[in-house]
Amino acid sequence: MFVYDPSTNPLNNNDWAFPLLEIIHITGFAFSIGTIAIVDLRLLGMGMRHQSPAQLLKDTTPWTLVGLLVMLMSGPLIFSSDPNMYLNNSSFRFKMGALLIAIIYNYTIHRKVAGSNPAPMLGKLVGGVSLLLWVSVVFAGLFIAFV
Amino acid sequence: MSLLAIFQWLQSTEIATALRESSYAYPIIMASHLTGMALFGGMILMTDLRILGVVMRGYSVTDVVGQLRLWKRIGLVLTAGCGIFLAWSKAEFYYHNPFFWTKMMLLLLVAVHALIFRRSVYNNTAEIDRAPIMPTNAKVAACLSLALWVGIVSAGRLIGYYEVKP
Repeated sequence: MFVYDPSTNPLNNNDWAFPLLEIIHITGFAFSIGTIAIVDLRLLGMGMRHQSPAQLLKDTTPWTLVGLLVMLMSGPLIFSSDPNMYLNNSSFRFKMGALLIAIIYNYTIHRKVAGSNPAPMLGKLVGGVSLLLWVSVVFAGLFIAFV
Repeated sequence: MSLLAIFQWLQSTEIATALRESSYAYPIIMASHLTGMALFGGMILMTDLRILGVVMRGYSVTDVVGQLRLWKRIGLVLTAGCGIFLAWSKAEFYYHNPFFWTKMMLLLLVAVHALIFRRSVYNNTAEIDRAPIMPTNAKVAACLSLALWVGIVSAGRLIGYYEVKP
């Protein structure tokens, strides 16, 4: 597919570069998914009930974005270490699909609904779907190493 | 019985062998371990950053610490529970792995951190909220917590990269 020799990539020529990048990736998703989960728990009526969903959304949005940017920078670098392997990996493909849906969902439906302090049933549905999407992204990411 | 013998025995138990050899259980537990970090690690970050005055400045420390406490506990039990099974299934490998022991020492320090700061910071948020400026010991607690947890994630990831010398 790519005419590219991964052995020339600095990531593959240093013992620490790749694990360090993974650590940055994990810290990035603790920020992004962790902050989204706080809003989702509120939508589910299971946490942070002193604040409204809209308030929580507003206050976590910048940190969610920081986490997403860290992930979207570290992720492609990890990918660059062996592009052909990733492209042929069914779990990686699933992850990219789920990630795309999760990001679009987060900035459309999730944002609109959480920002308007929805009725409990709608909030539960939207928060639950959000958690499921992000958990499936994490699961698929881990399974890249096992398929 | 030496510690190594105990770890070897742990690895030889039926449940460890079954876990190690299963093609689904092992990665599912590992993925749950990672999901725990994603969902609940973020809450630790947010709590500490609130104390440092970086995030959620409109909420009282009491609100953030109090309302996330239950979820952080559930998260810790889930994440640590999965971690125990992961280590158990490859106990002898972990015994020889310096990053595993680094991680265990850092977790021990988390317990020490709780012993030192729980009373004065995390169970004392009403007073912290009344203070005109954030008390230094609360800031120290938050910085140490951030450093410890980032260290724990890092050491955890590095466990997988250590090659046991023959």
